[in-house]
Amino acid sequence: MADRSTPRGSRWIWPALAMPGIIWVTLLFVLPLYVVMAILFGQIDPILRRPVPVWNPVKWNIIQFKYVLEHIVGSQGYFGPALLRTAVYVAVASALCLLIAYPVAYYTARFAGRRKGLLLALLIAPFWISYMMRMLAWINLLQNDGLLNRTLSLGGLLDVHVNWLSGHAGTVILGLTYGYVPYMILPLFAGLDRIPVSTLEAARDLGANRFEAFRRVTWPLSRQAVITSMLLTCLPMLGDYFTNDLLSGSPQTSMIGNLINTSVLTPGQTGQAGAFVMIVLIVSIVPMLLYVRANREGEAMRS
Amino acid sequence: MTPPPARRRSRAQLSRRSLLARGLVLGASAPTLSALLSACGTQLYTSGNLVIASPSHPVRWPVHQDNPAIESGLKPQAGSTLRLYSYSDYINPQVVKNFEKTYDVNIEISTFNDTDEALAKIASGDLSYDIYNPSYDQIGKMVAAKLLRPLNHDYIPNIDNLWPNFTDPWYDQGWEYSVPYTVYTTGIGWRTDQVSEDIAQRDNPYDVFWDPQYAGKLEVIDDWHTAMDMVLLRNHIYDANTAKSADLDLLRAQLMDLLQVTRPKVTITMYNDLPSGQIGLCQMWSGDVINSIYYLPKGQSPDILRYWFPADGRGMVDNDLIVCLSGGSNPVAAHTFINYMLDADVAALNFSYVGYQPPQKSINPKTLVAQGYAPPNLATAAVLPRYFDEGVHLLELPPTVDGQWHEIWQEFKAGG
Amino acid sequence: MSGWWGNPWRRPRVLLGFTALYVVWSLLPVLIAVMFSFNSGRSRTVWQGFSMRWYYGDPLRSVWHDPSLHTALFHTFRLGILATLITVPLGVAMALGLDRWHGRLPQGANFAVLLSFVLPETLLAVALLFVVTTVSGSWQPLHLGISGQVAGLVTYQLSYPVVIVRSRLLTIGAQYEEAAVDLGASQFGAVRRVLMPMLVPAIFASAVLVFADVIDDFVIVRYLSGDSSTEPVSVKIYNSARGAPTPALNALASLVLVASIGVIIVGYLAHRYFTRGEDTHKRGIEAFASEL
Repeated sequence: MADRSTPRGSRWIWPALAMPGIIWVTLLFVLPLYVVMAILFGQIDPILRRPVPVWNPVKWNIIQFKYVLEHIVGSQGYFGPALLRTAVYVAVASALCLLIAYPVAYYTARFAGRRKGLLLALLIAPFWISYMMRMLAWINLLQNDGLLNRTLSLGGLLDVHVNWLSGHAGTVILGLTYGYVPYMILPLFAGLDRIPVSTLEAARDLGANRFEAFRRVTWPLSRQAVITSMLLTCLPMLGDYFTNDLLSGSPQTSMIGNLINTSVLTPGQTGQAGAFVMIVLIVSIVPMLLYVRANREGEAMRS
Repeated sequence: MTPPPARRRSRAQLSRRSLLARGLVLGASAPTLSALLSACGTQLYTSGNLVIASPSHPVRWPVHQDNPAIESGLKPQAGSTLRLYSYSDYINPQVVKNFEKTYDVNIEISTFNDTDEALAKIASGDLSYDIYNPSYDQIGKMVAAKLLRPLNHDYIPNIDNLWPNFTDPWYDQGWEYSVPYTVYTTGIGWRTDQVSEDIAQRDNPYDVFWDPQYAGKLEVIDDWHTAMDMVLLRNHIYDANTAKSADLDLLRAQLMDLLQVTRPKVTITMYNDLPSGQIGLCQMWSGDVINSIYYLPKGQSPDILRYWFPADGRGMVDNDLIVCLSGGSNPVAAHTFINYMLDADVAALNFSYVGYQPPQKSINPKTLVAQGYAPPNLATAAVLPRYFDEGVHLLELPPTVDGQWHEIWQEFKAGG
Repeated sequence: MSGWWGNPWRRPRVLLGFTALYVVWSLLPVLIAVMFSFNSGRSRTVWQGFSMRWYYGDPLRSVWHDPSLHTALFHTFRLGILATLITVPLGVAMALGLDRWHGRLPQGANFAVLLSFVLPETLLAVALLFVVTTVSGSWQPLHLGISGQVAGLVTYQLSYPVVIVRSRLLTIGAQYEEAAVDLGASQFGAVRRVLMPMLVPAIFASAVLVFADVIDDFVIVRYLSGDSSTEPVSVKIYNSARGAPTPALNALASLVLVASIGVIIVGYLAHRYFTRGEDTHKRGIEAFASEL
């Protein structure tokens, strides 16, 4: 790694360059989180039942936050199942994403050879195909008279008429996987690409078979990339609500994103949306700290 | 080449201490921030008590000094824009185009999925819609928050085309703020090729929603009051606006049961899902079932559609309104538009596309089938004037009760 | 074990098959959706013949004639251009500054940027919605509609140029600037004439990525949308997909797809042009991808 000493010369330039961005991030990222808390701990207009933010923390009222917390577990735990479902869906979908993304990234990094460029282009493609369009495509296929049912019916031999779009957890999980797997492939590819082929060849030369070479050489070296890509896929999934809306109109598969979405514009419940936002934020920050630490380690390793 | 240890320490990212320090800094600056922000004015938007209209307590809304009606005799400005805010597919595009051509006004239609969301957006004050289609369960709130512009009757002579009781309805006596748009009932719609029984023959047709044989094949309407009142009607409770805790507990229990037993989808797109075969059975507005015919695939006959509404009229009967919003920027065109929509020919043209019946004298519900608006198998979808007397109405609720109903709905939507 | 399976240097047929299957699974649904945009009937599941009806033929509901559809298309591109024009300079400057400036504040800002990279978009969208609807006053420039949407998009996308340019900076190192300063250039001049040209590929890559991401964005633009003239294509698809969609929707999505492809191709060609003198073992798409 190159010498990282600050270049000689005037040092005002760096803060000057960074400040506009820092101000922007403060005003439009950090402060809005404060507004969320001001609404969560604020009041409700008596007739329209719109949220009225209270800016002074001294006057904050925790009644809305308490309501949400009380309804997560216990006899009145209405939100609990949705939170649990979110955790399950995200975990299963992320695991599926990893199972799919790892072999594909591995193949592209190691074996693609001349076709690497083309393959990468095809793998990057979903990034700039709108998520909505990809979901729209699947809705068409999953409809009662859609291609999936018709294919499964084997052209008339059987009569497969499954209502894929009617509140099935499997459809939602597969939708999440389909939507987010491209986000996992690129970082995994980048990480796997960095593993020098010579290391692997050395292992094989020394007599390890395919699986041992993978387990003892490739997997440990790729662990950091796996963690990074899991975070990049898992965390955004926590806020997803539209996949559930599009692929299953039923409340039975609702996730925490749906809880936020339905309460944000409902009279009297906007503060609760704020509570859910805070919960997701806290749940996301912990892995983020891990990510930052992993980043530091990764950079040290690379040097 | 590893960086020297001193460097690595100084580059150590977020140590716990630095995070804590940042948190303290932020916390210490909060009161200063709050002092700054309280200059924005965070007063409550409304105060006092909500006045609720009902058939037994009709209300004449006050006209406020600071929210007067527009002057008479003005013409809409050529080339201006009129903004409508409505459900999707709730107005005939041809009707819109004709208005645009006749008056040289551009119309922009924005849509919402439910009226709660719509009211929240209107009340935010950021959007200048001119025309809105609520039901009368929001009129008290909107008048109190001065979101509605009182109508100048000089612009709307076509009011005479309407059924007589709508010139002085209980929810808006003297039609100060609204005119009716469509009338509709809420019943049960189904397809005979997916549902072999005749639901109308059942003792309690509403029971079909809790019947496990239809699991995964049905939908309920994504409107809290409509869906929940169906549960009450199933139990022969005819107070659609009840505040009794016994009723609400029953409502909650059976609604959760519904989720477990039949896993319904919760949408407002029955008019597309039923004809396309996605579902076989749904709670449905009468206008949607007539509208469904348009969405049937080519070659499919409309004979397979059916609609049930209680013969004694004791089901949900309501009407939507057209109101002029005070935040709109084109009130003159808005008044002209309201008058235009009440014209008999325009209303008929709109009806043929939207499927929702307008309360026009020229459209006789008893002869809807003969006039060709509906096929014979959907004659039950006609809204007869007597339904308004016998039927159940979804009224505005006082804030506490409204909160309790919304809590149950939130529970339902969370999936239980 | 049989010879084929035990051979450590055999072609990886299983992996190849799996990868091929993945590519098909990933892209085929989209191709089918594009195909149905040329359907002559109303159905999106039953092929009824080829027609350009939904693009410009149908007088009421085609993309050309239906104002709500082509308004959405224009708004999508407007958002893309505005957001990219603001995000890239802001992000590049921030990357440069954060990389060289040491201290608590830049560390905190760095963490905030990384956090915004990973957080669910819904959080940011809801937080900004709260700001726009409850913090009122004539000094407040954000409203539901284009101002709110652009503000939200820039905040959400800012992490892209910051991360991409910073990783490029790590690879480049400080030696070129130091050489320039040693030879008498000012600090500012060194940055401008030595560092910036070396960063152009990364800047371009991030601009392309931000644009492609913004025109597909859904959550932020939906929460912060005003009336229907500020609803981009993604919101239109979402609203209509749950209602009564026609193939015009597929047509609209296909048009955005074509635009995305165009931008990516331009970006890729520009990247090749800018890195043509570079002595790297990776060429073309791999180099482009490794910027990301």
